[in-house]
Amino acid sequence: MKKENKVQKKKYFRSLEQLDGSKEYKEKAHREFPEGASEMNNDWSRRNFMGIMGASIALAGLAGCRRPKEKIVPYVKPPEDVIPGIAQQYATTMPFSTSSYGIVVESHEGRPTKIEGNKLHPSTLGSSNAMIQASMLGLYDPDRSKKVLRKGKEKTFEDFTSFWAEKFAAYKDSKGEGLAVLSESFASPTLARLKKQFEKIFPKARWATYEPVSDENIYDGLRSATGKDIQPIYDYSKADVILSLDSDFTLTESEDITANTGFAAGRTIEDEHSKMNRLYVVETAFSGTGGVADHRLVIKQHEIVRFVHAVAQNLEVWNVDQNLKLSPASAAWLDPLVQDLIDSKGKSLVVAGRRMPKEVHALVYTINEHLENIGRSVRYVERKDTEISSVGSLKDLTYNMKSGSVSTLLMLNTNPIYNAPADFKFNSALKKVENSIHVGLYNDETAKVCSWHIPTTHYLENWSDARSVDGTASVVQPLIAPLFDGKSAVEFLSLAATGEYKDGHNIVRETWGKLLSGSFESSWRKVLHDGLLKGSASKVVGIAGRKIPAELLNLRNNNGIEFVFVPSPSTFDGRFANNGWLQELPGAVTRIAWDNVAQVSKKTADSLGLKSEDLINITIDGREIQMPLWVVPGTANDTVILELGYGRKGIGRIADKAGFDVYPIRTSEAMSYAFGVTIVGTGRTFELANVQDHWSMEDRPIVREATKEDYKYNPEFAKEAVEHPPLESMWDEFKYDKGNQWGMAIDLTTCTGCSACTIACQSENNIPVIGKQEVRNGREMHWIRIDRYFSGDVENSASVEMVHQPVACQHCEMAPCEQVCPVAATVHSDDGLNTMVYNRCIGTRYCANNCPYKVRRFNFFNFTKETPEIVKMAMNPDVTVRSRGVMEKCTYCIQRISKARIEAKKEDRLIVDGDVVVACQQACPANAIAFGDILDKTSNVYQVKARNRAYDLLGELNIRPRTSFLAKIRNLNPNMPKASKSEIENT
Amino acid sequence: MSSNAKDLTNLEVQKELLFDGNPTFGSITEDVCKVVETKPGKLWYVLFGISSSLTVMLFSMIGYLFWEGTGIWGLNNPVGWGWAIVNFVFWVGIGHAGTLISAVLFLLRQRWRTSINRFAEAMTIFAVICALLFPTIHVGRVWLLYWVLPIPNQMEMWPNFRSPLLWDTFAVGTYFTCSLLFWYVGLIPDLATLRDRAKDKMSKLLYGFFSLGWRGGNRQWQHYELAYLVLAGISTPLVLSVHSIVSTDFATSLVPGWHTTIFPPYFVAGAIFSGFAMVMTLALIARKVYNLEHIFTPKVLERMSWVMLLTGSMVGYAYSMEFFIAWYSGNEYERFAFINRAFGPYAWAYWIMISCNVISPQLFWFKKLRTSIPVLFTLSIVVNIGMWFERFVIVMTLSRDYLPSSWDYFSPTIYDVGILVGSFGLFFTMFLLFLRFLPMVAMSEVKGALPEADPHYGGSH
Amino acid sequence: MSLFRKLPGVIIAEFDSTASLLHAAEKMSKEGYKKYDCHSPFPIHGMDQAMKLKRSPMGYIIGTMGTIGMIGMLALTYWTNTYGYQMVISGKEYFSWQAFIPVIFAITILLSAFGAFFGMLALNKLPQLFNPIFGSDRFAKVTNDGFFVSVEADDPMYDEAKVKSFLESIGGKNVEVVKIK
Repeated sequence: MKKENKVQKKKYFRSLEQLDGSKEYKEKAHREFPEGASEMNNDWSRRNFMGIMGASIALAGLAGCRRPKEKIVPYVKPPEDVIPGIAQQYATTMPFSTSSYGIVVESHEGRPTKIEGNKLHPSTLGSSNAMIQASMLGLYDPDRSKKVLRKGKEKTFEDFTSFWAEKFAAYKDSKGEGLAVLSESFASPTLARLKKQFEKIFPKARWATYEPVSDENIYDGLRSATGKDIQPIYDYSKADVILSLDSDFTLTESEDITANTGFAAGRTIEDEHSKMNRLYVVETAFSGTGGVADHRLVIKQHEIVRFVHAVAQNLEVWNVDQNLKLSPASAAWLDPLVQDLIDSKGKSLVVAGRRMPKEVHALVYTINEHLENIGRSVRYVERKDTEISSVGSLKDLTYNMKSGSVSTLLMLNTNPIYNAPADFKFNSALKKVENSIHVGLYNDETAKVCSWHIPTTHYLENWSDARSVDGTASVVQPLIAPLFDGKSAVEFLSLAATGEYKDGHNIVRETWGKLLSGSFESSWRKVLHDGLLKGSASKVVGIAGRKIPAELLNLRNNNGIEFVFVPSPSTFDGRFANNGWLQELPGAVTRIAWDNVAQVSKKTADSLGLKSEDLINITIDGREIQMPLWVVPGTANDTVILELGYGRKGIGRIADKAGFDVYPIRTSEAMSYAFGVTIVGTGRTFELANVQDHWSMEDRPIVREATKEDYKYNPEFAKEAVEHPPLESMWDEFKYDKGNQWGMAIDLTTCTGCSACTIACQSENNIPVIGKQEVRNGREMHWIRIDRYFSGDVENSASVEMVHQPVACQHCEMAPCEQVCPVAATVHSDDGLNTMVYNRCIGTRYCANNCPYKVRRFNFFNFTKETPEIVKMAMNPDVTVRSRGVMEKCTYCIQRISKARIEAKKEDRLIVDGDVVVACQQACPANAIAFGDILDKTSNVYQVKARNRAYDLLGELNIRPRTSFLAKIRNLNPNMPKASKSEIENT
Repeated sequence: MSSNAKDLTNLEVQKELLFDGNPTFGSITEDVCKVVETKPGKLWYVLFGISSSLTVMLFSMIGYLFWEGTGIWGLNNPVGWGWAIVNFVFWVGIGHAGTLISAVLFLLRQRWRTSINRFAEAMTIFAVICALLFPTIHVGRVWLLYWVLPIPNQMEMWPNFRSPLLWDTFAVGTYFTCSLLFWYVGLIPDLATLRDRAKDKMSKLLYGFFSLGWRGGNRQWQHYELAYLVLAGISTPLVLSVHSIVSTDFATSLVPGWHTTIFPPYFVAGAIFSGFAMVMTLALIARKVYNLEHIFTPKVLERMSWVMLLTGSMVGYAYSMEFFIAWYSGNEYERFAFINRAFGPYAWAYWIMISCNVISPQLFWFKKLRTSIPVLFTLSIVVNIGMWFERFVIVMTLSRDYLPSSWDYFSPTIYDVGILVGSFGLFFTMFLLFLRFLPMVAMSEVKGALPEADPHYGGSH
Repeated sequence: MSLFRKLPGVIIAEFDSTASLLHAAEKMSKEGYKKYDCHSPFPIHGMDQAMKLKRSPMGYIIGTMGTIGMIGMLALTYWTNTYGYQMVISGKEYFSWQAFIPVIFAITILLSAFGAFFGMLALNKLPQLFNPIFGSDRFAKVTNDGFFVSVEADDPMYDEAKVKSFLESIGGKNVEVVKIK
């Protein structure tokens, strides 16, 4: 018990402003009216939000049924019995860079309304992430481009085809001399086929592929190590010891879903005796992955490179005798870490993030090979039909454009004006191109300066196909006919390659004719039904790894401040910038919505004499941008983390007002990180929408945490963390002992704070987007939020630990919110749900005051009043849209419960475990959420709740929450140095 | 008070205490009625102009509030109740002194009350009107507010009688009705006086109508006195019950810092404290505007300052006891809530409250101070500021409860401020109208308190 | 109770002090007058005994009303929670009587107050906007500093001459007969 108390008694610190009681904070606290707080235009800023989703009335007609013309096959039922009110589910695929996610889309009378993972697909395994969930809203984005434009003037697609017809003839003769294509990277049989076709007709044409955030380094590293173009496939579930080298594999790296699932699988423990994997994270920025790490080493990117070499040295896979000048902290790590890796040979895994240079990835390959992990926790397959992003290819292209040797440039879903490396000066290069043709979803930065812009289609409204990283081929089938009459990339590329327009459906079928064996129609139907082609995964390639020659070693060592570019967990590289759900989703670590920030450690901020919300000038060799600074404890000292993907201009009402553009200071020499940045405060501040100002847990037993040893020592530590008198009532309590009694359990050991649940809930329950100002006012509406707490010494980044805790309504059996409602608008159902009766609510907000978890959300304004028809199409018809003045909160997806009840009734049976899968549970890639009948001893949730780690948050209030949490366990390596001791010198 | 209640029953003392000069029945009638019958001075118009324009602002802001929703206030997720509830409790509190003076002191036969009771009752009614305004407008869907009443309806839904907010509805509603009846009953004979003195048709008509044809016959006085006595009798428990019930809005919740049993008595003490301060403020203003120095005598004012000293000290005791219990309970959330009050982001408000409510009334120990009009006036206002902040501090306890992740800071918008200021406008508008058109002193009662009123006066028999 | 009281007339006599009015009252009742009253600007102690008036029934009225309030509210809360619309609220019993006390108390008080107010009006036959007695200008003094005895025409012993002389005999001044014009 003592031990656990120690565990609980970590020194948690408060929000920094408070910690150092800075003058600024005192003012804020003492000033009755912080400027801005009382500005007359509060309602105007709300209007702005209304504007955010406001669309032209012209769209109003679209709300009707738009079932695609072609025959598509439903997942569960044949399409002929479409019963109004009964949702149908279709399998399709979301292409994402060189990967793809197999998904199942719920469609109500022809409107896609909800995305869920496809259990059969290797990249989703039935779950999903925030971006997949939110891509639904992207389909209905009223700001998508709707018109073919020539030099800004409206034209028809026919105008373009006729224009292209003559160009096509001309270039055909010149074998494509002066013709060039800039494409996004893809993994698609059809697109690959069309590319080949294109190159056959235009042999002299140039082809470049570019994405601002890509795995290029990984592929290059593997090529230099093996000489082959191969794709790594990780299976985290097979690894007992995982070493992540700057890889945020649970959130922002490729294949985050399977990574999450596998990692969680190796970490889900029955009791104190179960086996549990151990995660070492070496990183610079604080990532969600760093939060779940058992040991976290926080050093600069440059030192990580040296650290990897040191590991290789110790493992004797890289024997160059060279002083790597490791900091004491890193040095202290080496021996125990390497020992642990060796001890679990064949059951370990070393991964490096996409920011690491190719040398590191080459080394990592060799290390894995040496540790006999290849074929176990990691396997390598050949890449099929994939187009890899290459900065080099873009460099050549721009060079040729400048030299005037490019007369026509086709741009496929790329936006180089916004995100090309600054030193390429793509803008001036483009001016030299006679015909620049842009194909994209938005009339974006690039489209605006191109001579032609063709609106393209969202993946939910076009025919295409894709391969997952392991090569599994799947078809992208439309759920709805194109809303804005765009042309898909497939259609455009085929037009480019053949000179005449062909319909996407036929193009794709043409490709698949070769892929499918046996009767085409039946296997085609099967593919559409399953969402993928079974057995199409690529074979594992066997390679004998080669030793890395020493000259590959890249060991720049420098002083001063290091800058690091990271993709935003919300907008990624900017492609989701106009997505309200993602913009309003607070960062897993920063808890900031609607903006990107320059993250630094407390020490660094102090040394710069700056603090959070200061607007700063960031200069990297002559290029300067402005953005707000934000202190994130646990960030490496003397580094600044710059989030990409914000500060879009003129593409949409949401994107335009969100954040700051970082690309202007990102050059091809330093795509990931480098030294040589100067940071100067402007003396001004910038107000950020931060949903959790308070960092500390105040020594309260909220997230209950212990090391594996302490857990062994006292398996009951979680329950014993609070001492309280016996929980008895003065009255005869209502007995919930009949029928189904719903309950939930959330495992804090596997939760990585990825926020998939939050967006899934938002999509399922029609939760409104309220805009930055309202979030600033502390009125965020998310029904399930991810609380984030830091522990340790803020001054010492190495000592800082982070925990995440998803909190939704706990459905207390003796809910304090119910007794205080004067009109009985929130009462208990006999299956144990704390129900919220919207039409009875008069909005006294007393229930919210009396809720100890503060999970109730109030409609301070009519947040949905001005939602345009087009966005209403995304709404779930099974869930009431709440009006102004009404309280709302998590309902345990009551609509899904009643759906299951109805099904069970129809089949004249009882509801069985698994009939009800709530939205957050369904989305969670870590399967950290269990839900079901707590009276049914065979149910999953019953067994999870029965584990000794289970505890009720604030259970001592005797309110009997129905949601339980499983305490967080960290599996420490006893031989590792204590984090708090190893203060980092910056070498 | 009761210690000097004895000597106060001595007629001579009362006379000396109540009236400067040597008033007769006639002179009292004259003094009080001329206020109503003659045109008011410039000052009245100035004050009325200010307060009525504030009232206009109040209602336009409320209109905007109904149009847009409660989001125009500074409310946020942890702080679901803001200034609306602060103001509600504040105004209800003000009301209490009126009832105390008119009912409790009446039962205690504290005749010195007669000069101020009409006044105090009027204040009660106007304060309660302002108070009722706030719970009404603070709900999200004001057009459905009637659902808190047990009205049979097609949904067969009934209000939840367990909710302290519902208790409020009934308690404050009853309180308002009783105070109104009590006040009106007291007014009837005086309205008759005005009726009989009325010159122009209009006032003849109105006063005639509202005095219900009072004839001052003993067969009427008999029932009248009993009714008055009983109304006083049933208003007395209200003085204690109403604010106790208001305090349960907080006390029955589980918010740390709200969930305390000391609330009811401490709220009642606070209510009387602020109420007397308000009566003092108003009396001093009226006294100046209508030079009624001979009716609101220094002695009466001094006695009121005694009451403020007493209740102020009780409130101070409650503050310290809250802290002690929080520490003694050993409950970490409770302890934090109180430390946070005194040293957290709202410390500034807390210390304003302490200095205004606990320290300033102690000055009343000095006779020199409690008999100086300027000092009394300033302190009466200071005390009301302090009592407003007491409620502010209590409500803001919401900003930091169990889970630090939800903690936030409440900052009022101009609508919060405007509506508070506006409510004062409404209050003073009603009060000035009262001074203008109704007898501000209960003539029949004052006459009844004159020695001549006693049949055995002058030793006949 | 009618708003306007029609009477052939009423005789009033003025007295100069509370004391003299009290004596007058005693004499009137001894003489056996029934429909007479003693008017004064404020209630006078001992007047009830002097006029030999019965005890006021106000107490009963108020008591009854209060009881009705209490029982009524108790019944309402009981019925609505137990039969009207059963709801599980915070896992508490349907009839959580402890929580219903405040409303029951409030309604009890409210009805008692109504009893007091309306009871008083009823017993005093108020409002009665017209009464012949208002015909006398001097009578206006009664709400200022005047003390009067009035005898109404429907008194069994009513006889203008007799009454006038009797009133003068007991010290009444400015005896006048007020008639409706």
